[in-house]
Amino acid sequence: MKVTLNWLRQHVDFAWSPDELAERLTLLGIEVEGIQRIAGDFDGIVVAQVLSRDKHPNADKLSVCRVADGRGERQIVCGAQNFKAGDKVPLILPGSALPPKPGDAQPFVIKVGKIRNVESHGMLCSADELGIDPEAIGHAREDGLLLLRGDAPVGQPFAEYLGRSGSDVVYDLEVTPNRPDLNSVIGIAREIAALSGNPLRIPAAELPAAAPDARPAVAVRLEAPDLCPRYTARVIRGVRVGPSPDWLRAWLEKVGLRSINNVVDVTNFVMLETGQPLHAFDLDLLAKVDGVPTVVVRRASADETFVTLDGVQRTLASETLLVADAGKGIALAGIMGGRNTEIQATTRDVLLESAWFQPTNIRRTSKALGLRTDASYRYERGADVGVAEAASRRAAALILATAGGALDGPVVDAHPEPAAPRQVTLRNHKVGELLGIQLPTEEIECHLQQLGLRPASRRPRPVDGEAPGAEEPVSWVIPTWRVDLKREADLIEEVARLHGVDKIPSTAPRGAKGSHPYDVVHDHLMEVRRFLVGMGLVEAQGQTLVGDALARAVNADVIALANPLSSDMDVLRPSLLPGLIDTLRHNLSRRNGDVQLFEIGRVFVQSGGQPREAWRVAIALTGLRAPAFWSGTDRDAKCDVFDAKGIVEELAEHLGIRGMAWTRRSEPTPFWVESATIALGGRQELGQLGQLSPVLARRHDLRDPVILAELNLDLLLARRNPSRSFKPLPAFPSSRRDVAMIVAESVTHDAVLAAVKGAKAGNLESVELFDVFRGKHVPAGQKSVAYAFTYRASDRTLKDEEVQAAHGKVLEALKAGVGAAFRE
Amino acid sequence: MSLLAQVDSVKAEALVALGDAADLPALEQAKGSFLGAEGRFTALLKQLGGLPREDRPAAGKSINAAKAEIEAALAARRADLELRASVPRDPADFTLPGRRRPSGRLHPLTQVTDDIVRAFRRLGFAVADGPEIEDERHCFDALNTPADHPARDAQDTFFLDLPSRPLLRTHTSSVQIRVMEKQAPPIRIVVPGRVFRRDNADATHNPTFHQIEGLYIDRGVTLGDLKGTVEAVFRELLGDDVKLRFRPHYFSYTEPSLEIDFTNSLVRKLGKEWLEIAGCGMVHPKVFENVGYDPEVWSGWAFGFGIERIAMLRYGITDIRLFYENDTRFLAQF
Repeated sequence: MKVTLNWLRQHVDFAWSPDELAERLTLLGIEVEGIQRIAGDFDGIVVAQVLSRDKHPNADKLSVCRVADGRGERQIVCGAQNFKAGDKVPLILPGSALPPKPGDAQPFVIKVGKIRNVESHGMLCSADELGIDPEAIGHAREDGLLLLRGDAPVGQPFAEYLGRSGSDVVYDLEVTPNRPDLNSVIGIAREIAALSGNPLRIPAAELPAAAPDARPAVAVRLEAPDLCPRYTARVIRGVRVGPSPDWLRAWLEKVGLRSINNVVDVTNFVMLETGQPLHAFDLDLLAKVDGVPTVVVRRASADETFVTLDGVQRTLASETLLVADAGKGIALAGIMGGRNTEIQATTRDVLLESAWFQPTNIRRTSKALGLRTDASYRYERGADVGVAEAASRRAAALILATAGGALDGPVVDAHPEPAAPRQVTLRNHKVGELLGIQLPTEEIECHLQQLGLRPASRRPRPVDGEAPGAEEPVSWVIPTWRVDLKREADLIEEVARLHGVDKIPSTAPRGAKGSHPYDVVHDHLMEVRRFLVGMGLVEAQGQTLVGDALARAVNADVIALANPLSSDMDVLRPSLLPGLIDTLRHNLSRRNGDVQLFEIGRVFVQSGGQPREAWRVAIALTGLRAPAFWSGTDRDAKCDVFDAKGIVEELAEHLGIRGMAWTRRSEPTPFWVESATIALGGRQELGQLGQLSPVLARRHDLRDPVILAELNLDLLLARRNPSRSFKPLPAFPSSRRDVAMIVAESVTHDAVLAAVKGAKAGNLESVELFDVFRGKHVPAGQKSVAYAFTYRASDRTLKDEEVQAAHGKVLEALKAGVGAAFRE
Repeated sequence: MSLLAQVDSVKAEALVALGDAADLPALEQAKGSFLGAEGRFTALLKQLGGLPREDRPAAGKSINAAKAEIEAALAARRADLELRASVPRDPADFTLPGRRRPSGRLHPLTQVTDDIVRAFRRLGFAVADGPEIEDERHCFDALNTPADHPARDAQDTFFLDLPSRPLLRTHTSSVQIRVMEKQAPPIRIVVPGRVFRRDNADATHNPTFHQIEGLYIDRGVTLGDLKGTVEAVFRELLGDDVKLRFRPHYFSYTEPSLEIDFTNSLVRKLGKEWLEIAGCGMVHPKVFENVGYDPEVWSGWAFGFGIERIAMLRYGITDIRLFYENDTRFLAQF
């Protein structure tokens, strides 16, 4: 909503500077989003009166004058001859510039200076210097100063004298959707009036009274009173449609509206002034019933078509509200008029509509047709049903003044069932209870009255039962323009606004302590994050919305958006991996090829049409395993699946989780070239880990092996076991036995461990794999593996024979269990 | 020459010889020539027996002292030569880059979220959470934003292609309803989380972003309490020099509703007087009625803001998309 300073001043007085006004409006809840200063014509030029004229002591052709400028007197040296004391002339004040003329390199700025040793504080101007044609403004063409009308007020800005727009300030206001009344100049002025205590001025709009026996020149029939409970119509005959007067054109253009013609401009002007949308029809184009043009407000029939003012043919629905005559639609109610009854240069008779339409209906139609106008914007937020007739009267008066013509008949105000004004009860003590300050009753009531609310009744004070002095709840009558005031809390907000939120003291935090089951989960998530950061991984936060193709490669049960913005963001991520792959691609495309990331976030899948959300943690590694270094044989090593597995194992250990079982997928999948599923406790699937299919990787411009892992974080946290207990440090020495053996390729590390476990060897403290080798001296299809077995007793040093006996059982079990052939 | 004089002179020679030994073999040789079985100092010891009985204790004492002195010098010299012998042949260039270990980082949004959560927790708030896939009731209707309400326009919503037509929550306020449905008042929670709006990505928009909000419901909660907590949280977050301004505004689920502007040296450096940072208000009585709380008994406030915005301000980041691109050179800066 745009308003100008001068327009507001038409309706209310205030002594604030333009910036102060912006500040006050903002703190009142009308945020000023922009301030634009408009330089007027003839800035710094005022009407001055010559008080005395004397000859310049040092120059024959100059005179020294004393002039009044409206604020005081000043001395001016002047070379013109055509004036005398008492004349009114244009004076340009020091610091201001003469109107620029074509060819001027820079503006000519008037300064205080001496002319032949006499100071001059400004300059009296000729018509030529002002760049105006004196005859065009009804003045005589003179050699010398431009002589102004004798009744011109001294000090009046010259632009005002000429009837042109002076400088102004345009405010761009953010009006919240609950306050449709603020989409009008008067609405804003009303707030200023309430804040300043100055009265609000609403133009009287007197119309010549219709003859007592005059018949209405138009009939109105409301066929859908639920959608249009009030419709007013006035007829003005014999208008001359033409350009608007300068003041009207200037008012509209300053707030960004294009001038069309005097009649249409008046309807727009009154809409801006009062917030009430109006529409003017060419009356002669309406069908007549019994010789009387008739307006019918009705629902459209389904698939009825209608051509709006913009020339677009629109197909209507049965809930579309249509303003029609006896035969055809003439306006899309509350949104846009019809081409068939548009005001044109030839229009003689005007039908002026000012009505109230139901907001939800207007909103639905406007949305369905994709057609938003200044009118629909106001109607869908809620217009003021009470102002409809007054706005029509104001518009009619302005049309008569700008386009001529005469009223025909009285106003038709179809408003069969005016709603009783809404009343809201306020218990004054509730104001203090909600705001935390005690306000005197007088202040509360004063604020509400300043906003146009009126006390309806006071509940009679009970004779007994309540303590004397108990306050009475007051029922307030809500003015029709305040559609947002519906209950007690709304009135309390009004009091808070006018009192000033900044004056409400802050209270130090107090009261109940909070609790929520998620509180501890937040800590666990942060714990996992911090742990993975400690592992050297950088945390990523990916998009929740990802592309369908990659998402489906991970999980077929994706949830699609019904209204996506683009095809690369059309489903909810069923896994964190697609996002991480995207992130890797982004990094690689910027030549950042060594990336080790994790992400913790929610994923979404559906089962049986029901959405499910779950927390996941995922890891993505690619490129060099370790930061670059200038020496060492391992420096070029790239990340492999065991880097990721090591991180997963560390995390599990940190969380106190045991019993992860890893199973290699025997076949590659479209997503994984080689991967394993991870189960917990033998049953529940914890996640998966592996290397991304190089085919897929190349499609994402990834060259090095991409190692990915994703775990079910809900499960991980559910199994989290933070309890720890102390185990005494070993007091006696251990014995170590190394074993190198050849086994079939199919024998897994898990199988070896199972065989060892089956041996039930006494005092076996640990089994550690330290080498896996294939190649020279190892037959094809087999591999050499080397383990270190550590034996230790907690209460004594083991004897060699004891170790030997236990180790012998282990070797037997390995032979029997995994077919191990020992190497010497 | 008396025996004692000889001891002094041999000791002095021994100390010189030990000091002159250039390496460990030379040192061992020097040791042998003084302290070995045939060594010169050993020979002096042997003369001790030839002294008169009354002189022996004094002489023995000084010989032992001299021997201890030589042995100490020997040990010191040996330690010194051993150390020198183990200096690496190729000297290290300490200006070479060190062998770096990968160091991880928390995402800047995580860091900022956790700082905010910590500020709220210090005031007794518990962290709460709710689903990101929501229904219209929790996201709009129960929050007093009925269908066809113009306020819904401002939050263009993603809907899901599922039979129940769920949506992605457009704000964390849906969690208010979830929590109030489950828990009896009083309530004191802080809710960080992801929210979604159907905006094309640009420097200030991403379809996914994060909000955080606090909710406090109790008996006798006032607007003054709201202001007090907002000030405490933002002072902790933005520093003690922060100034706040509360402006009346409109949200359908609070009444009165306020927007919060802040200013500090950073804002002034940006050439602005105030920057909008958060919205808040007293919980609308209709919202209480919608979850079955009696608005005559309970009152409360809600206060929420965008996490990206705080992070962008704190670090001077000008493009929101950087948060979601996860360029590790970006992430490593925080």
